[in-house]
Amino acid sequence: MSKRILIDPVTRIEGHAKISIFMDDAGNVSDAEFHVVEFRGFEKFCEGRPYTEMPGITQRICGICPVSHTLASAKAGDALMAVNIPPAADKLRRLMNLGQIIQSHALSFFHLSAPDFLLGWDSPPAQRNVFGLIASNKDLARAGIRLRQFGQEIIEILGDKKIHPAWAVPGGVRSALSEEGRAKIRAWLPEAYATTKVAFDLWQRTMETHQPEIQIYGNFPSLFMGLVAEDGTWEHHGGKLRFTDSSGSIIADQIDALNYLDYIGESVQGNSYLKSPYYKPLGFPAGIYRVGPLARLNICQQMGVPQADAELKKFKKLGHGAVTSSFLYHYARLIEILAGIEYVERYMDDPELSSDYLRADAGINNLRGVGVSEAPRGTLFHDYTVDRNGLLQKVNLIVATGQNNLAMNQTVAQIARHYVRGNTIPEPMLNRVEHGIRCYDPCLSCSTHAVGQMPLRVQLIAPDGSVLNEVARG
Amino acid sequence: MNCEKAVETEILVIGYGNTLRGDDGVGPRVAEAVGKLRLPGVRTLICALLTPELADPISRTKKVIFVDAAVDASKEVQWRELEPHETSQLMAHAADPRTMLALARDVFGRVPEAWWLTIPAVDLGFREDFSPAVQRDFAAALKKVQAFCAEA
Repeated sequence: MSKRILIDPVTRIEGHAKISIFMDDAGNVSDAEFHVVEFRGFEKFCEGRPYTEMPGITQRICGICPVSHTLASAKAGDALMAVNIPPAADKLRRLMNLGQIIQSHALSFFHLSAPDFLLGWDSPPAQRNVFGLIASNKDLARAGIRLRQFGQEIIEILGDKKIHPAWAVPGGVRSALSEEGRAKIRAWLPEAYATTKVAFDLWQRTMETHQPEIQIYGNFPSLFMGLVAEDGTWEHHGGKLRFTDSSGSIIADQIDALNYLDYIGESVQGNSYLKSPYYKPLGFPAGIYRVGPLARLNICQQMGVPQADAELKKFKKLGHGAVTSSFLYHYARLIEILAGIEYVERYMDDPELSSDYLRADAGINNLRGVGVSEAPRGTLFHDYTVDRNGLLQKVNLIVATGQNNLAMNQTVAQIARHYVRGNTIPEPMLNRVEHGIRCYDPCLSCSTHAVGQMPLRVQLIAPDGSVLNEVARG
Repeated sequence: MNCEKAVETEILVIGYGNTLRGDDGVGPRVAEAVGKLRLPGVRTLICALLTPELADPISRTKKVIFVDAAVDASKEVQWRELEPHETSQLMAHAADPRTMLALARDVFGRVPEAWWLTIPAVDLGFREDFSPAVQRDFAAALKKVQAFCAEA
């Protein structure tokens, strides 16, 4: 008699989700699914709105990554206007995106994920959270909070608000970097570097003690996709799309954003509001690909800044071609934090960021525009079709987390196969499965998670729908 | 890192909520209105939700007021004194400011006196204006903060 194990809700991620683990008659895991149980509907209710409103509307999709949406939306607007924005505006948008990457990755590493691998899978759930981290290592917890603060400060200095800054617009940005703002950002840099060094030292020790997790947590072949510069340098806002396979070979390269639909299909599943994008030439589900920090580091040849480049060399040695273990998303995040800090430091010496030439003006010159930007979690697409008045006729949004959907399913199944046995469902196993999801740092359109007491309901369900066993807490 | 920082603010007013969800935006709007009053020694912060990095500025103020819409409290504006408490709500829709106080205490070594000003929410639909009830309570809430700041 088959059984299903349900983890609902999944904790310490952004958004609402549940996991179903299906058992066969022999008590082995046969399959797993990651369900997103919330529906936002932005693609539909934005129809009829002026495209100029979209940077403001779409950043409300999420309270954790609003910057990512506003930047991709502004780029889509640039494409509708058929403009090249002034160089200063492009640099400023990049600076904001770097702030976003730093703060988001800091949150993921220190608050959402570190409690697991620092405090241990078997530690009591009430302690396996940021308060447990504080009790165990107050300096580290403080450093993590401050590092996220640094990223938020960059966003606020540029956009005048930490959350939902109304700053990036089609054609450019609203304001330059002030000298006061430049001084504030510079003042943060020593501490940011110091915190990152501490995190790397900690991560090296973690890798030594977590070899099983590296092998089991989402370690499988897949494609990888992201933005990359023409010379193969790591990109987070410009460049073009590249796909590589798990041997590290480039299978599609320098794809213009406008042509993404030639390469990416979207499959809709009946049990989740999250669409499942796939690489079209290989079909669904064989065209599974991953995005985000792991993918960005796999597809690039260099980071373009010295300290991060040194770490990238070490990182790439962890794979045969590509690095395929999803547990190593955490390492990739740290490398991107370091790269972010190094690039921010470079920008602080760039006088062009104070320029007042920040906007390009034009009307509608294309009826379809696509903006692509790398959100911390992965590649983000905003695809707008408008009428001649600039009113939206069609909107397609492909978010990073959706592109990792197939991979998250596979990761959950892989972990569950190793740790779930029969009818016994120990709490550490559940946390391992949840952590597999946290490796991807999914953002499920709103930010909510519970720290500490983990409200969990696990049911074993027979094929006829009857509940064979249930474990609940919280 | 030296966290023995001086107290920098007399009163910090933190208004949080979603300004596109009707009455949920009352917290930010109250904080915004307080900011415009330019009261001496008063600093305001406006955010969508309570996040860990708020623990730092909270630890560097003498008094903090959290302003938020309430959906499950009484049907009147409430003013409650708070103590730090490690709740399960961090970065949640129903974020608990006591968690912020606990973070300020545990991570940055200092916790201010704290109060929670809640305004009962009626309409959380997709809109930027308030329901009539919150429009009335908005003035009372602003008065409360003003009076507190004047006496502090």
